[in-house]
Amino acid sequence: MNKLKETLESAFSDLQVSIPEDDRLTIFAPKDAVLSILSFLKSKGYEHLALVSCVDWIEEEEFELIYILSAYMQKDDEYTDKEKTNIILKTRISREKPECTTVIPIFKNAEPYERELHELFGIRFEGHPRLTPLFLEREYKIPPFRKDFDTREYVKKVFDEIPFVEDKIGQT
Amino acid sequence: MDRNQLAKWLKAPAKMGHKYSLHVVYFCTGCGIIEVPPVITARWDAERFGVIPVATPRQANLFLITGYVSVKTLKAIIRTYEQMPEPKFTVGFGSCPINGGMYWDSYNTIKHLDKYIPVDGWIAGCMPRPEAIFVAVTHLWTLIDKGMADGYKRYRENYKYYRANQEQLYGTLEWPPLFPIEDKNE
Repeated sequence: MNKLKETLESAFSDLQVSIPEDDRLTIFAPKDAVLSILSFLKSKGYEHLALVSCVDWIEEEEFELIYILSAYMQKDDEYTDKEKTNIILKTRISREKPECTTVIPIFKNAEPYERELHELFGIRFEGHPRLTPLFLEREYKIPPFRKDFDTREYVKKVFDEIPFVEDKIGQT
Repeated sequence: MDRNQLAKWLKAPAKMGHKYSLHVVYFCTGCGIIEVPPVITARWDAERFGVIPVATPRQANLFLITGYVSVKTLKAIIRTYEQMPEPKFTVGFGSCPINGGMYWDSYNTIKHLDKYIPVDGWIAGCMPRPEAIFVAVTHLWTLIDKGMADGYKRYRENYKYYRANQEQLYGTLEWPPLFPIEDKNE
């Protein structure tokens, strides 16, 4: 894994690569470098995109996108170092203008993950073929997974406003 | 057949028939459905009580709401409930349909199920044991005997209020009203 760290650091500039614990490699990268790093890692055999996730750092006014990659097991081979490793690629985008390029050209299975992030965090992925609603039925002014979405106020405004049917019958 | 119930059978045969042939819709919402497979299979064997799961709501008369109800699921619940033939009974299973339970503050889980469809009984707990379903079923028998399991009648009588609540949550509904709504402007 140290070898992979060295190749990454030599191939790309301004990356922060660290190994926080065994079998885990964390990369901090600028937003523009994500696509090239992902395709580089894919060519190295890390062909499985396990997850695209997001963290809302509201005090720093940034979203952190997280891509988790791992390698498939090879047939008739020993369980190698590569197959144990999880690679975590992190990048920051601004909170005011949450836009990022889609990674669908490299990993096709990123489509539902990016749709989910678009729905729950309001991040727009350029080049995504269909950013339509995925889970939610209602429309939200602020996407519900952002830190400044006040769930208590929302629940009071929406669900508690609906009257009990028994009360309605009592009124008439 | 229990000989003590012979008088009841002669007096109200239809009621007794409803009591002992509860066909439950096999509809899963949330986590409570994990309790239903052991209930209907060999371990607890709900058929002792006449409870059998059926494939479609058109053949069912008992609706178990097992677990939290998200906004999207509620739409399916309303449509399923409206398809069931009368008489039909609804039982809320677990804390979440009663008042939201641990989803009290959730942005996408409705808090009180009985605002949208009528409910005949509740099983409290998170999760209730499978035995609780049988307690609920035997209690439902008592309610049917006394004529108190009248959720479907309440739905028909107060349909405009239920429909108004459903429309308040969703804006517009894609299906027409089940019953005619009179003096809606009142």
